[in-house]
Amino acid sequence: MVNATGEKAKDVARKIRDKVRGTKAFDRSLRGRVAALEAELEADRQLHRKIAELSDVVAELLVPMQDRDEKQVRELLSQYRKTI
Amino acid sequence: MTSAEITAEGIWLTDPPNEPVMVHFDGRYLWSFTPARDGARQGRVLVSWPGNLVRFLDGVTRLRLQSVDGETVWFDAEHRFGTSTDRVAVVNRAGEPLSVDKVGHLGRAFLETPDEIKREILVATQEVLTVLREETGVDAYLCYGALLGAVRNGKMIGHDSDVDLCFYSHKTTPVDIIRESYRVERIVRTKGWTVTRMSGGDIKVVRVLSGERKCHIDIFGAFTIPGGHGEGGRTFYQFGNRSGSFDAEADLLPLGTVTLEGLEFPAPKNPEAMLAFVYGPHWKVPDPSFVHRDNPIGVVRLNGWFRGFRDDLPAWNDVYDQRAGDVPRAASDFARWVAEQIGPEDKIADLGAGTGRDTRYFAKTGHAVRAIDFSRRSFARTRRIAGEVRADQTMFNELRRVLVLGARLARNPRHLYARHLIGCLDAEARTNLYRLASVALRGGQAMFLEFQATAPGAPVPQPVGLVRRLDADLIAAEITAAGGRIDYRETVVGADMFDDPDPAVCRMRVTWPAPKKESK
Repeated sequence: MVNATGEKAKDVARKIRDKVRGTKAFDRSLRGRVAALEAELEADRQLHRKIAELSDVVAELLVPMQDRDEKQVRELLSQYRKTI
Repeated sequence: MTSAEITAEGIWLTDPPNEPVMVHFDGRYLWSFTPARDGARQGRVLVSWPGNLVRFLDGVTRLRLQSVDGETVWFDAEHRFGTSTDRVAVVNRAGEPLSVDKVGHLGRAFLETPDEIKREILVATQEVLTVLREETGVDAYLCYGALLGAVRNGKMIGHDSDVDLCFYSHKTTPVDIIRESYRVERIVRTKGWTVTRMSGGDIKVVRVLSGERKCHIDIFGAFTIPGGHGEGGRTFYQFGNRSGSFDAEADLLPLGTVTLEGLEFPAPKNPEAMLAFVYGPHWKVPDPSFVHRDNPIGVVRLNGWFRGFRDDLPAWNDVYDQRAGDVPRAASDFARWVAEQIGPEDKIADLGAGTGRDTRYFAKTGHAVRAIDFSRRSFARTRRIAGEVRADQTMFNELRRVLVLGARLARNPRHLYARHLIGCLDAEARTNLYRLASVALRGGQAMFLEFQATAPGAPVPQPVGLVRRLDADLIAAEITAAGGRIDYRETVVGADMFDDPDPAVCRMRVTWPAPKKESK
């Protein structure tokens, strides 16, 4: 009896789900959400290059610049620019 | 029965062959295609001439369409394009014959390259490989067409026109792979070779051969990243755009060797597996018309992770090549307008200098100018301008170059001059420009902007697809949010980059007030 009721409830749920899935609103909303997710994922992917660039500047320039020697800083900047 | 008709549009085929077709002009290989893939059915099948070939098609040639092995000939006759009675000459400036490669570029096919030059190219390639392996310590190997030729018969593929190298990074995160590529680039640059960064994962080295000939050697990154569409929960990627299931541990490393034109090169441990991965299961069958069919998911990932800082560059280079003559040489009205507002000794950075028309004007009127553009075509022009001019190549989407430029400008203050630049920049590049300005203008100099503004009925700006109209309110809001102060703003009837009239050109003068120091 319990099983039969459970099966019936599942059937009803399945029918409702199918009905909702068939609606344009659901379709639109899901497509919209997927598009938004894709855009966010793409933005996250682009962070890899930004972080690589920033960490490159930090490692190659800012750390050696800590002595604040103006002449050396100029040379360092010039040298760094030649390597990118 | 296959028959062909040749027109200015392309090659019309009736009953086209189900195999690659090779096109010869006056007995020389020029191009190849596969009708079913490259043609458009309009009753007959039309295979259009590749875009890069069209400008050469004026004159007479003996045109032959044949199979790869040359045993079947579908067309062989004199044909006249256009009005010229000269022979059609698809050649470079040195008069050397060119052919169309698999990505539509014109190059010098090995088939038409003298043996001694081929030898020089291979020796130059070996030298690059030695630097990669011994000085950068990476696992670098011969790949693509050169590997295919080596495995097939030990010879370079006749229709190929370049040599490609790859190196395998053991890093598994894009950011680390990019940093490794930077490291490799730095070491390669110490050799004095010209290096161009094509993406976060690949660079191009130019080697100069005898007789000022140049050979381009691509150095592509390869790596395995967890997840993706590859089998076993990981995906192997190899630049350009290859991705999928390839077991680097089983089939790539440790590297073996192959012999090409009598020289030994490092190669994947199992070169056949690599060739099957790159060219598919039929890699043994010669197909000069082959084009890669890359997994779109893999391409999206590679684009997101590694690319995005030079997307418009090829199109801009085409503009410089084809339309530079349409840009007047005389100073723009905007340059004169700016000149009235600055001191006679003031220094200027011309951002997005283009053909250098305004760089020339400022230099001529006694200003020291730093001309900055992302295209080498522009760099080649501006660096020749007389006066106190320094040319620089900087991409506004590449943060580290912008930061370095900002640091240099901060030490040598200049006004920033940007005519028709920001309409070419995306939001990220504009943010970088404001960052640059905030650093460079601390001494009280100004940034002068001119751009085509949105307005009802205003035409699409030229060059189409490379320039956008911008909402002046939006730009003002961006600048203010970035700490800038708009001292002057007007939208007037002006001109575009070709000096064609434009109904809505916005001019701005912007300064960056120094941030207030915290009182102790």
